[in-house]
Formats: sequence, C-alpha cells, structure tokens
Amino acid sequence: EIGISKEEALEVLQVVRKECHSDAARTAGGSAATRKCTALELLEEEQAQGFIITFCSALDNILGGGVQLTKITEICGAPGVGKTQLCMQLAVDVQIPECFGGVAGEAVFIDTEGSFMVDRLVDIATACVQHCQLIAEAHQEEDHLKALETFSLESILSHIYYFRCRDYIELLAQVYLLPDFLSEHSKVRLVVVDGIAFPFRHDFEDLSLRTRLLNGLAQQLIIIANDHKSAVVLTNQMTTRIGQNQSILVPALGESWGHAATVRLIFHWDNSQRLATLYKSPSQKESTIPYCITSHGFRDVQPPAVTQNAEGTEMNPRKRPRREEEK
Amino acid sequence: MDWDQFDLNPKVIAALKKADIKSIKEILNLSGADLQRLMKLSSADIQCLLKTVSLTLRRNSMLTALQLYQDKDHLTSQHQKLSLGCSVLDNLLKGGIPLVGITELAGESSAGKTQISLQLCLCVQYPYKYGGLDSGAVYICTEDVFPSKRLQQLIDQQHKLRADVPAEIIQKIKFGNSIFVEHAADLDAFHNCITKRISLLLTRGMVRLVVIDSIAALFRCEFGASDSVMKAQYLQTFGAQLHSLSTRFRTPIMCINQKSVMLLYSAVDNRVSPALGITWANQLLMRLMVSRISPPEQSSGVASHHTGSVRTLRVVFAPHLPQSFCYYTVKLEGVKGIR
Repeated sequence: EIGISKEEALEVLQVVRKECHSDAARTAGGSAATRKCTALELLEEEQAQGFIITFCSALDNILGGGVQLTKITEICGAPGVGKTQLCMQLAVDVQIPECFGGVAGEAVFIDTEGSFMVDRLVDIATACVQHCQLIAEAHQEEDHLKALETFSLESILSHIYYFRCRDYIELLAQVYLLPDFLSEHSKVRLVVVDGIAFPFRHDFEDLSLRTRLLNGLAQQLIIIANDHKSAVVLTNQMTTRIGQNQSILVPALGESWGHAATVRLIFHWDNSQRLATLYKSPSQKESTIPYCITSHGFRDVQPPAVTQNAEGTEMNPRKRPRREEEK
Repeated sequence: MDWDQFDLNPKVIAALKKADIKSIKEILNLSGADLQRLMKLSSADIQCLLKTVSLTLRRNSMLTALQLYQDKDHLTSQHQKLSLGCSVLDNLLKGGIPLVGITELAGESSAGKTQISLQLCLCVQYPYKYGGLDSGAVYICTEDVFPSKRLQQLIDQQHKLRADVPAEIIQKIKFGNSIFVEHAADLDAFHNCITKRISLLLTRGMVRLVVIDSIAALFRCEFGASDSVMKAQYLQTFGAQLHSLSTRFRTPIMCINQKSVMLLYSAVDNRVSPALGITWANQLLMRLMVSRISPPEQSSGVASHHTGSVRTLRVVFAPHLPQSFCYYTVKLEGVKGIR
C-alpha cells in the first residue's frame, strides 16, 4: 500500500513488534494481535469474568453463574415466551451494586421490534430495588446501605441507553457506532439486541448478502464483547423447518448464524410451563429448567430452597464455590 | 446523494463518486474489504467512512429509559395508548392498544371481534384527553361486507357508551366521515391497498388506526399445502410493511384473525404442523383472543345478570402485560367489560 518491498515490510513489522514487547504499559484488555499468553492465564482471566444474574437461580445454575461477560448469549424462542422479559431483567440486573453480588454496570438496549415497554421495565426495576432493600435490612451492613443510596428506580432507568432501529441498515450503522459509544460510556457491561432476526427476515432476495452481513455483525459484536468486557445478549425468532415427515421449530437466520453466539438458550413451552434449554455452551452441559414470568420479572418457578446462607449464595454468585462437575 | 455535504476527507469523497456509490445503504451493504477494493482506499479511511455515514443516520438516536418513562408528550410518549372506550377493557390492557406495532385480535366467529374493531374506529376519533387520537380510521374488509348498519347504531349510541365524555364533544365529531372502508379480496388488491391507499391516508394525517378484517381470509384460498414457503414470504413482507407504517406514523394496526383453533405453541416435542402460525406471530406486538366459551367462573355469579352472551377477552402475549383476561358483553351501544 505504501509502495515498499515485501522484505522491507517485514523489517518494519519486526521493529514495531519489538517496540510493543518492551512497552511495559501494555494492558491485558488491549486488542494487540501480538500479545502472547499461556492457556492458564486465559483460564484464570475467564474464571474471573463476571456474570450477570437473571434472578432465576435455576437458569443461573445451568449457565454457570449467569449471563457471562465477554461472551455472546443468544436467546431463541417463539413469541410471548419471555425473551424480551429476560433482556429487560438483565438490563436491570447488570446494574446491581457489587456488594449485592452484581457487576455495577450499565446497559445498552437496541430494540428492532418496538417491544421495549418502559412501564414493564419500571416494574422489574422496582422489584429489584426492593429485593436489595430486603437484603440490606437483613444484614445491616454499611456498604449495603451506602450502595442503596444510588441504586434507585431513577438511577437504574437513567443508565439504560435505548436505541430504536427500524431496519437492518439502521442496525448496522448503530453497531458501527457502538465501540465509540462504549468508550465514552465505559461502565456499560451489557449490550442487548432485541431481536436480531426481525430486520433480516424480509427484504433479502439475496440470501448470501444476508449471511455476509450477519457474519460481519457477529464479528463486530464478538470484538465489542471482548474489548469492553461486556455481555452481548441477542434474541432470535424461531422458524419452521419442514422435514420429511414432520416439522420442527428451529432458530431463525440459518445454519451459519448458529455459530455466532457462544451460548445459545432456547425458550419454549411444555403445555403451560415455560422452559429454558441450554443448547450450546463451551463449558456447561445441555440442560433444561423451568422458569416463570411474574409481575416482578424473570423468576424461578418455586423459590429456591432456603438455607442458612441463602441470601449470600443467591446474590453473590462469584462467592459460590466452583464445583468440579460444573467444568 | 450529495457526498460533498459529508464531513469526509476529499479523497474519500472523490473515491465515492468515482465508484458510483449512490447511497448510505450501498456503503453499509458492503464489507470493509469490499469497500477497500472498490474505492482503493486504506482500511483506516474505510473505517472513518463507515463511522461518518453511520453517524449521519444515527445522530441523536439515543434515549435513556428514564427519558422514555418521563415523556408525557402525547405525540411521542409510550404511555399514550388507544382506549377501547371501556374502562374495564382498558384496565386489562393497561391503558389500551399500544400505538406502535401490530395487535392481533383472534378467536372463533361471532365472538365479538368485529364489534371491538368497530368500537375502536369510533374511539380513535375522540381527543387525546379521552383516550383517542383525534383522527380517523381505515377499515379493510377482506371477505364480509362492511357492517354499516351496526356502525350507525354504535354512532347513535356513543353518548351512552362514553358517559365519561361531555355531550358537546361527542356531538361535534362526525364519526361516519372519518372511517374509510376499503375492500381487498386477494393479495394483490391488499398489497395495492397498503402501499397506495393507506400510505396516502396516513401521510395526510387523516387516519390513526388501521383495521384489517381479516388477515386469515387473504391467505386461506390462495395457497395450497405445498406453498408454505411462498405463504411465509408473503406474510413476512406484509408484516414488515405494516410494521413499518405503524412505526413511521405511530398508528396501531389491528389485525383480525379468524382461525378457529388457536394453538399457543403448546407443541409436543417441538413439533407443530406447518400452519405458519409462527411466521405471522413473529410479526405481532400483542395477541388478544376473544371467545364465547363460558369459563367455569361464570357460574359463580359473575355473569348471572347477563343472559347468555358473556365473552372473554384474553391477553395471550404482550411485552408489557401478564396473561390475563376479563369478561365483556356486546350491548346495543357497544362492547362493555364486566367488572
């Protein structure tokens, strides 16, 4: 590009690389392609990553603690099963202060379908604040009470950054602008795209264009998740795949899209019981758990068994001992 | 597209013109590598270009949830809904029909879907203060003829239904003048109707409600069992067009669905028959169901004063509502909920 020979180019690269290695100020989160580290370092880094709890302990369990930062989690399901509900719950839960076991982050919510109803979000946020207040009352600790001073309905709502994208072009543009936005709003720990399928499921006679655009989007989101230590949560629709004798419901957007997310959850019904199946995960096994949607938000079907340290284990997943079977 | 207006490096502008790129959409449709090749620019220049055009599209597009919550302006607020003209029904829906999105009203025949739709066509004409949108409605008939006699009855009885509105205000509204009736018996006619007629009425601000009675009739005859893929594409295209109109003009779209059996994806082992119910359902914001089947509670006295015509209005799914229901009857003056 700048008109030098291949050998000269290699020389330049080597000089630059040496400069980088001697730069002791290199931070771990940088996007340097030449950073070397051992697998052990990577494992330790990964285990130290936070989780965003869902308030449904059964779901948090099968996910290994909750929705993980730096990963893309995809939620698939039929209309009405609760995908948007979980997204709204996560946009609140990401803000839970650290003393209550949260990651004290902020949220970006990209809405392509117009299903983000702020009144519902208010219900969920209010219930979360009340939950934390109950814990604070029970424990009477300084840091709990202090954290509650700034953890209120208004503060929660003010830290959810909402973008409405009305077609796939607006969505693509918004994702191009996200890295700069996240640099300016460095406390964001969650990016939600609800839903990723809606803008891509009509308007495309050329499916290869769609596949290419989706792949590009996935790559950008992976980089964003990593660079900004954020969880990326996407919701996807279900579609009917017609087989020889039967039809089944499968996630939309095709086979190659299936590789985009690290973790894939499928929400579905069994008569009138809502179920969540962990379908794909690098570290957890496939399992199905029941959940329900209450006026307070996304919850377990029954309250989890109350033990001596119930509040502690519920609200502090990072303090829960890592069990061997969970790896 | 006038690229000179953009805050771009002149060499980038020159490259855009030379490559004959005419729109932002064209740029975003291409990958970074394709753009580099096409415009013979470096990757840094392309990144800059992508960000600049994205910013043009998306400047000032962020709102915090707090701003959404505190917005009480009836022109933009999420809290603004289209009332159904009855406080019991409005309570079930936490205010009424949301203004942006497609709401489906499904159920067996004679359960009251047309009655509710006609009532909405009148409600929309009231001022914002009384739950309306100060505008008219367009009613698309796809199979039956428009029930004009019943509409006239309802108009005559508005003062009785809407006791909450002062009589002078009701008298001033020329209800019949603001309901535009269209007929569309097949998909082509329907497509024409949406793209031309309805767009025009919406652009001129003459209507703020679109009723389609019914969406199912359009698809019943034209597609055989083997055309499911094509049917799905039509459903998605229409859904997207309706959704886009609804978003652009903050206008609720009410689709009546006349399926006789509504399966709520209670699919056994994930198997469903290819009825494409899910293709359509994916386009919806909210699904409501009406039925005449008397629920067991009726015997406990809820409906004992109402002889035989108690119906149920049920929320099947909605992002802001729990699965709940209420009872209603159809009276001379319209649809009224039972407390």
